[in-house]
Amino acid sequence: MTKTSFKWLVSAGLALAVTVCVAPSTNGQAGGGDRQGAGAQKPPQAKPAPQGQNVQKPWLPENQAPTSERMWKVHLDFNRWHDVAELIADMKTLEKAYPKFLKYQSIGRTYDGRDIPLMTINNPDTGAELSKAAMYIEANVHGNEIQGGEICLYTIWYLMENYGKIDRITKLVNERVFYLLPTVNPDGRDWFMHGPGGNARSSHFPVDDDNDGAVDEDWPADLNGDGVVSQMRKYVGMGNGNMRKTADDPRILEPAPFGKGDYIMVGSEGIDRDGDGRVGEDGPGSYDPNRNWAADWQPNYVQGGSMDYPFQLPEAKAINDFLVAHPNIAGVQSYHNNGGMILRGPGAESVGEYPRTDVVAYDELGRNAERMLPYYRYLVIWSGLYTVHGGFIDWTADGLGVVSFSNELWNNGQYYNSPELKEQQKDPNSPIAPGVANYWFNDNLEFGDQFIDWKEFEHPQFGKVEVGGWKKTYGRVPPRFMTEEMCHRNMAWTLYQADEMPKVQIGETKVERVGENVYKVWVDLTNPKVVPTILAKAAQNAVVPPDLLTVEGRDVQVIAASVVPSKFRPAVQQLIDQQDLKRLVFRNGLPGKTTRTIQYLVKGSGEIALTYTSVKGGKVEKGVTLK
Amino acid sequence: MQRTCAGTARTRAALVVLSMLVVCTATAPRAADPAKYHSYQELTAALNSAVAAHKDIARIVSIGKSGQGRDLWAVEIANPAGTPVAERPALLVAANFEGDHVIGSELALSTIEYLLAGYAADPAIRQRIDTQAFYVIPRVNPDGAELMFAPVKTGRRTNATVFDADNDGRADEDAAEDLNKDGYVTVMRVKDPKGPYMIDPADPRLMKRADPAKGEQGGYSIYWEGTDKDNDGFIGEDGPGGVDLNRNFMHQYPYYQPDAGRYMVSEAETRAVLDYVLKHRNIAGILTYGESDNLVVAPSRRGDLGAAISVGLVEFANASIAGARRTGMIQDAAGGIGGRGMGMMIMGEYEGVGGGRGGAQAQTGRGGPARSAATTINAADIDYFTAVSEKYREMTGVRTALPVRTPAGAFFEYGYYQYGVPSFSTPGWGPQMRTATTTTTTAEAFDGNAETRGGPFVPQGRGGQAGGGQRPGGAAPGAGAGRGAMPAGGEAAPGPVYGDQRLLRWMDAEKIDGFVAWQPYKHPTLGDVEIGGFKPYDIVNPPAARIAELGTSHAKFALYLASLFPRVKIATTEVTSHGGGIFRIKADVVNTGYLPTSLAHGVVSRAVRPTMIQLGVDPADIIAGNEKTSFTAALAGSGGTQSYQWIVKGKPGATVTLKVVSQKGGTDTATLKLQ
Repeated sequence: MTKTSFKWLVSAGLALAVTVCVAPSTNGQAGGGDRQGAGAQKPPQAKPAPQGQNVQKPWLPENQAPTSERMWKVHLDFNRWHDVAELIADMKTLEKAYPKFLKYQSIGRTYDGRDIPLMTINNPDTGAELSKAAMYIEANVHGNEIQGGEICLYTIWYLMENYGKIDRITKLVNERVFYLLPTVNPDGRDWFMHGPGGNARSSHFPVDDDNDGAVDEDWPADLNGDGVVSQMRKYVGMGNGNMRKTADDPRILEPAPFGKGDYIMVGSEGIDRDGDGRVGEDGPGSYDPNRNWAADWQPNYVQGGSMDYPFQLPEAKAINDFLVAHPNIAGVQSYHNNGGMILRGPGAESVGEYPRTDVVAYDELGRNAERMLPYYRYLVIWSGLYTVHGGFIDWTADGLGVVSFSNELWNNGQYYNSPELKEQQKDPNSPIAPGVANYWFNDNLEFGDQFIDWKEFEHPQFGKVEVGGWKKTYGRVPPRFMTEEMCHRNMAWTLYQADEMPKVQIGETKVERVGENVYKVWVDLTNPKVVPTILAKAAQNAVVPPDLLTVEGRDVQVIAASVVPSKFRPAVQQLIDQQDLKRLVFRNGLPGKTTRTIQYLVKGSGEIALTYTSVKGGKVEKGVTLK
Repeated sequence: MQRTCAGTARTRAALVVLSMLVVCTATAPRAADPAKYHSYQELTAALNSAVAAHKDIARIVSIGKSGQGRDLWAVEIANPAGTPVAERPALLVAANFEGDHVIGSELALSTIEYLLAGYAADPAIRQRIDTQAFYVIPRVNPDGAELMFAPVKTGRRTNATVFDADNDGRADEDAAEDLNKDGYVTVMRVKDPKGPYMIDPADPRLMKRADPAKGEQGGYSIYWEGTDKDNDGFIGEDGPGGVDLNRNFMHQYPYYQPDAGRYMVSEAETRAVLDYVLKHRNIAGILTYGESDNLVVAPSRRGDLGAAISVGLVEFANASIAGARRTGMIQDAAGGIGGRGMGMMIMGEYEGVGGGRGGAQAQTGRGGPARSAATTINAADIDYFTAVSEKYREMTGVRTALPVRTPAGAFFEYGYYQYGVPSFSTPGWGPQMRTATTTTTTAEAFDGNAETRGGPFVPQGRGGQAGGGQRPGGAAPGAGAGRGAMPAGGEAAPGPVYGDQRLLRWMDAEKIDGFVAWQPYKHPTLGDVEIGGFKPYDIVNPPAARIAELGTSHAKFALYLASLFPRVKIATTEVTSHGGGIFRIKADVVNTGYLPTSLAHGVVSRAVRPTMIQLGVDPADIIAGNEKTSFTAALAGSGGTQSYQWIVKGKPGATVTLKVVSQKGGTDTATLKLQ
């Protein structure tokens, strides 16, 4: 493609134009030459200037800074963690900078009354939101699993900053809609960010954990006032404990043989606030907001933390209402931490594996995800992680018919991320051996910032104890200096998934006269993407409206319709057994990477309009003349 | 006994009239005409009148709004003096989840009126209202129920939610219609050589599926009365509404079935009911009136409910639209170029099923063995269900119910399996029941005949279950044969059981005009058809004349149920001084109610909070013995006792409070003096 046509493409920014220009076989990517488009403004490889010589750069235009680096319109931090207010503030800053594309909204309130923030990315010039397939990306349903929030923010920022600069980003933003929800659980996030720590997995619906009739009355305590709920250990005298300090590092306790221990672990930092004789047994939450969704939901005694009924939690209800109101959503990513996994459903073996054609689509996406995300593995939830009933992506996959993944962000294999270092770690005497590796990393790369040294404290119930341990920002979230890479790689994978959402096209049409006013009309329907317009499971469950192929024309009668097995090899065509042949229903949609040919036998003359409508794959029309 | 019932009904009416006259001057439609089904407006007025006349012990609250914006009323009956109402055992009565089951509303309304009218004079009622509570939600589905009063009777069960029942991209576009303008949507039978149905030789008004094994031949097709308005080949497959609210709760939820809603608790009405019961955890028992049953026929010893009995004519018409949701499944073996349609595998990368690591290879789930939810009544709870069921038949005289639906997604099932309390459902009437004037009904007159015992409406027996042995001989016709168990545990599912004949006999005997005789009709596409069949509402509701009698017997039954609830008491306490400020405290906690503080399944499901025993001392002052706060999962009924003791440090002469709190059995406290 020439430079001129590239410019035309970007300025017009039209998805339809792209469809016209690019053959479907290129899999939705702009032609290889496009990439040169952006690069064309960049100088060719500049040779280093000879030292001490004032070299002229004649190839540079007048008054233009000699930079190969992009100039960002909005500057955001991707080397620290944001609380809810900061996330929302950054979203609003982006919205202000890119008002044409971005729409910030609160889709509901949490139990504590915080806004649930959502950003919509849509180019209004290329169609209304609901007319285009949408990718829904969310994070942080577990309050302590924060880093997906930053990825959502990064994704908004990256798409906007690079729109018009990188062809494929421009095209993606033109063709697709994005919904980004950086924190599903703002109450939990802020409890994690600002509270002293402790269990921030839940949201804040009141639950009486200890059955005493009082709710959330005995939460963990930051006894020594260092801002962190850490661990308590107690020196109990030689022979009385089951642990001892390691020889090399007094911070670390190791199991001791009988009679050789002098320490015991007492538990999380806390006191008995409700005077019932037990310490910290009823904090906020304690259920699991990711078990409150309506597919394979099970009562609490089968699936712990599921609450009393699906969507009982205000956050889950608000999000589900949004999802149900946006049937154009054709891809879901829900970020969690940690372990380095790209998970898909089903969450429980009892639900049964997905139909084969769905697995094919998931596998192609999942394998490419593994290529983009070193240290991440593509797994099924129940077999690769653990059994989950009533999880979010099971609901979006089964109940809403959307291809859904959940990334478990960050794998602590990434601390020592070369084969050589992995080899070193096999040596138990290595300073980075598994038992001590975290301490070495913290001491040398975090300069000790992530560990709170043990300090003595006089506990009201336990007497003299030592309080100390890891900070909440260590272990489950990456070191801050490694965050941007996590953001980018995970974003790249979701953008790939977004690109592979279904997109229907009407290809070749052919008209052949077979008799007086009777014509054979062939029409090619193509979905060049990996994901089918309707998943097989969604068709089974009847949760996605069917695709429709309609014929309109004055005094036109459709005598028969059939599926053409092959355009190039004549074979018997199966008649489509439907009453209303002018409105064909394709209940299981159009598979991925497929062209299907439909043959009509039509009586009449003149123009007819063929329209294919898919809730998740878009709407396309083509006119055909009967002659 | 029967005369007493009728007498009480009259007394009640008189009392209501009296109280209306005294307290409010508004007209009381209920009292003026007890023998009627109430529209929403009339029901609202009746509830308000009843409550207004007893403001001291009753209040009416709206627990939410229906889809069409009608208030969902709950009437709360309790004397607020004394123990806070939230700490007393309460009976929840809820009805009319199924829009056409309006009799349920009437029974619930009768219960309200019976309790309120009887409070002044009846000590049994007084005791319950003074120390317990009743929560009554008479009409969970007002939008559906209102259609009973519409000019054309459709018998719609669902609420008013717009739902694309056949998932064809259009909602509510093809409703059944009253083609022959007789005011009822019934069914059409059409002569059709391929049709599987034949006229039932036992009663030519009825149809049956021809059994080729017996040499029978069909010849008829059956459809809903109507036309194919959306031209999809099906008649009346997607009418207005909605969701069947008794299919929308979580226990054995029928996922992705058209009437079950998009997901569990998707409806404003069902969510309102759940939020209400979750806010009122003192509800210790649930009585629902609906189209499923575990009262007329008790659960089997294995914990299964009786089999469903449906109306054949309705099921046959339903069968005609069953395929509407499958139309358009394209089974193209070769899906064209690069096809990934069924059966195509085109890229070498995919080695077949589950080729990726994400595929279902022989992987073992981590995190322990998979658990699954209970689907049969816990063996330790069955006797309670059996006893209550027996009492129900005795008190109401209802011997069989018909039709009876499988309870997948029903509220009363939630009540037991997830809320953890004794929870019941009954249609509230049946074609075999005692009448107000005789001990032997017309229906019972044919109890003894062969048709009843071995006839088509009595399903397969429960295998070896000697169901009849549990019941008084001959009291429950058909019970001996059993009403076949639900398909469970590898048992062969019994075939469908139809109650058409029995329904028709009852209508004939009671002179109920509930069947539209077949009339020829010229159908626009089908040609010559006949339209006829059961009148929708007459299938599930008895004549209005029966309401008063059924209302009274069911109100009494509700009162009986409430009398079974657990009641915890601190039975005995003892304080001994060991000197030196050391005391031994002993206490016995007893449950004086009939039911345990939690059913076995309430414990298993962790739905019922354990009973808490708490001694009001500083935990540091307990030297030995029980903890300051102790729990017992359940105290057995009828005198179940638990003993506790503590050795505490304290000031002689100081007082200590001992408290026992049971979620379903009330609370009790004792003040002990350390001496």
